[in-house]
Amino acid sequence: MSNYPTYRMFGEHAILLDWPERIDLDIHNQVFLYARFISKNFQDEIVETVIAYQSLVVYLNSETNAQLFIDTLKGRKIDISELVTKEKHLITIPVCYDPEFGPDIQKIASTHNQTISEVIERHTAPNYKVYFLGFLPGFAYLGGLDQQLYTPRRNMPRPFIAKGSVGIGGTQTGIYPIDSPGGWNIIGKTPLHLFDATQVPPSMINAGDFIQFESISRSEFDLLQIEVDSGTFRWRKEVHYD
Amino acid sequence: MIKVIASGLHSSLQDLGRFGHRDCGVPISGAMDLRSAAKANALVGNDANATVLEFMASGPILEFHEAALIGISGAIFSPKIDGQKVGMNTSISVNEGSTLSFGSPSKGMRAYLAIKGGFTSEIMLGSSSYYSGITKEAQLRKNDILHFAQSNKKSPETNRSEINTEFRFDSNEIEVFKGPEFELLPKSIQNKLKNTSFIIDTQSNRMAYWLEHSEDISAKDIITAPVQPGTVQMTPVGKVIVLMRDAQTTGGYARIFQLTKNAVDLLAQKRAGEIVSFKMIDPLFPTHA
Repeated sequence: MSNYPTYRMFGEHAILLDWPERIDLDIHNQVFLYARFISKNFQDEIVETVIAYQSLVVYLNSETNAQLFIDTLKGRKIDISELVTKEKHLITIPVCYDPEFGPDIQKIASTHNQTISEVIERHTAPNYKVYFLGFLPGFAYLGGLDQQLYTPRRNMPRPFIAKGSVGIGGTQTGIYPIDSPGGWNIIGKTPLHLFDATQVPPSMINAGDFIQFESISRSEFDLLQIEVDSGTFRWRKEVHYD
Repeated sequence: MIKVIASGLHSSLQDLGRFGHRDCGVPISGAMDLRSAAKANALVGNDANATVLEFMASGPILEFHEAALIGISGAIFSPKIDGQKVGMNTSISVNEGSTLSFGSPSKGMRAYLAIKGGFTSEIMLGSSSYYSGITKEAQLRKNDILHFAQSNKKSPETNRSEINTEFRFDSNEIEVFKGPEFELLPKSIQNKLKNTSFIIDTQSNRMAYWLEHSEDISAKDIITAPVQPGTVQMTPVGKVIVLMRDAQTTGGYARIFQLTKNAVDLLAQKRAGEIVSFKMIDPLFPTHA
């Protein structure tokens, strides 16, 4: 990957760094570390960075010349090895897969000749990688969905999907962090607030984290909701070291 | 304070935007036409980032419960105080008990009301710009109460007689740079994009402008990647979408162009049904700074 990243201007005040067009954990890790490196070393020149699977945009201050900044970055030895961390966060997200919250779970089970329990088992098994956030405030793009749960989006998107709903769209799974329209198949709901604009950072899960879903009953959902609403809920965020 | 008697079609409080949280998927929002918003603020001696009221197409009716100094800039509305016509692009003293109305614009789409001291509204993630899911309000509603800060800064001279109709949004040429996926398009599609006239669709809003056309053009989807206000996307079925200030932070459609900063302001002043075309410029030699 010695020819990567490539550097291009993206409007007057942004530059784009691109890696090969693949969704790949190693590529994404480079993107993630480059973003960290740039955020750490060029605080005066930049506003912020945004990463995706294999690209990184650096939004520059209006005083920073984009072409000169590209030259600076290219000339700089970017040592990302010092930023590699062995620390990993695994966040547990309780989800109630009751058909009341998951109107499409029966359809997904039938489509794949599985029982609802098997769907839940497959959905709760992986440690999903959070690649980045986008689409909606706090929406996490997750990698690691079991292929046997891949399901095309609904033909007719729903005008309203409640915050906390968990869905499957194509090869992806995710959680709607705020109320929104949406076309994914909804299989359950978490009582947790993943996005809270009164907090900094506003998102409880961030790029680089891992999450795991945990199946909870309808009554456990109600209990957790009370904990969340009363502010006594404690997130389960475990730190692992490789 | 100011009481909202009528909200207008879509009015909202905006500043220069909400920065620093795009990595959490938070759109930047902010005034659609940043230069007109900054001008309105300058008219009353505010900082450029002071919170202004953005309104479009059909303006609000506002009742002033205290005296204020205001400035209006952007689309050419016909502002009136208690039925008497007042100027745009000038500072105006409004007396307690007066009512300010706007009607509809004769030119342009969006205008900005700045008030000396700036509107005060809840600041979420560093900005008071309205955005559904971040601020409590997504748009102004009838009977809302708007507050503004008192300012100790010296007031500019007021001049109610001057009717300045300055308007710099007549051009239909939208200046763009090549987008990240432009070079991947076949030459024939590249040429069509440069020579096609697009009609602004009625579903255009603060999130995106949709451009209609009858050309046979399309682009393959990409692996989801960053987008920003001014990014022009083209879908596999040929829809052309220009992302605006409330746009999402990442997207999966081909990014064919990137509007210049000034072109975003210009497009924000265009209405549904108006015709625009893209003019490609060299990023190293923009026609104006």
